[in-house]
Amino acid sequence: MKIVLDRPRCEGHGLCEEAAPALMHLDDDGELVLDREEIGDAEAAAANAAVRVCPVAALRIA
Amino acid sequence: MSTVAPPTADVDLFADDVLVDPYPTYARLRELGAVVHLPKNEAYALTRYDVIRDALGDWETFSSAGAIGFNPMVNEALTGTSLASDPPIHTQLRAALTENLTPRALRGLKGQIEEKADALVAELVEKGSFEAIDALARAFPLEVVADLIGFTGHVRDNMPCWGQAAMQVIGPMNQRTAECFPIAGELYGWCSGVTAEDLAPGSVGRGIFEAEARGAIPPGTAGHIIHQYLGAGVDTTIAAIGNIVALLGARPDQLELVRTDPSLAPAAFNEVLRFWPPIHAWGRKATRDVEVDGVTIPAGSKVAILFGAGNRDPRHYEDPDELLVERNPVDHLSFGYGPHGCAGQGLARLEAHAVIGALSRRVERLVLDPEVRVPSNITRSIDELAVLEVVPA
Repeated sequence: MKIVLDRPRCEGHGLCEEAAPALMHLDDDGELVLDREEIGDAEAAAANAAVRVCPVAALRIA
Repeated sequence: MSTVAPPTADVDLFADDVLVDPYPTYARLRELGAVVHLPKNEAYALTRYDVIRDALGDWETFSSAGAIGFNPMVNEALTGTSLASDPPIHTQLRAALTENLTPRALRGLKGQIEEKADALVAELVEKGSFEAIDALARAFPLEVVADLIGFTGHVRDNMPCWGQAAMQVIGPMNQRTAECFPIAGELYGWCSGVTAEDLAPGSVGRGIFEAEARGAIPPGTAGHIIHQYLGAGVDTTIAAIGNIVALLGARPDQLELVRTDPSLAPAAFNEVLRFWPPIHAWGRKATRDVEVDGVTIPAGSKVAILFGAGNRDPRHYEDPDELLVERNPVDHLSFGYGPHGCAGQGLARLEAHAVIGALSRRVERLVLDPEVRVPSNITRSIDELAVLEVVPA
């Protein structure tokens, strides 16, 4: 599984970081950085929660 | 393919009694079906959580272009705004609108907003009794947005009325809408005529004009962006803050949870938004015959999204009619979702978290009169809320 970010859509609300702090974070400029794109079963729940919480639908699982 | 027509209900979404308390109607419609045809409103209502969230995410099927309002005049007036357009035009307009509203742009304001909320709540607690809508729900966001845009004087005094009218006219062409068009026009007129010099140096409003001057946004659009900030952001935030006071005031046990664990402020705000969304109904247009939950919405139909019905859908939330701050419903529908998700939600969160934080630090309990509501087409908010007594923390 892979997390895919639609960069132009991301507005930096940061709710995904709260849902999956091990997988992504906002950098000092408020830009989202995916720390892990390829994810295993162990992280699937956190990744799905991050996708789910994005208010502008900028994240998906592929 | 055979098509099944959705169930029909003889409901007017914009009747006075429905606007004051839509929840019995929401429950009835939700039980009838995920999609219910409402001939009185010439619309197909979306009533259940999953179909609302899916529709909000699918702009190709559920278009916003000329479709968010419930009368042709307002849809005409909103042409060319990000609110009422679809990608790819929407993408550009949205970027210009959100540039100064994203959490990263607002980071510097957090401290000021918290200080303002704390000072205002401290003053009200000191007074011992107050009218919460004027003194807090209206006063606080107006102060924040006035500083943000950089306006002063009479504009500030007009803003609650202008902001209310801007939402009201999104409804169908009833008496409320007709009465509010001239007032909404005053806001539009002011935004069309405002210049950089009218706005305080260093304000976000001034920055929007500077962006226009250096060509970062198209010529003539700065006033429109300011219009959207004020039209969309004032009335809804006032509603949300009034709802915070009313709901936490009426439920000392829930306020107590936040007092004990202040990190629950964001969760409490999510739950207040889920429980009473500031926006009652919002429009879309079906671009094709679309099958939703086994029934067909015909191409070209008006679609009415009922956020509050989805937020109380028992298929999605357990005990949906209970206000439970620990639930933290991060996926509530009140900010919308997807490409048109509320552009000002970062600012709304800053303001609301600051108010909840201040209340939870300074108030043990509020003694409230029942809230007074006046029917309003789109924004569902409390008109008067008397705090008879404050039990300070």
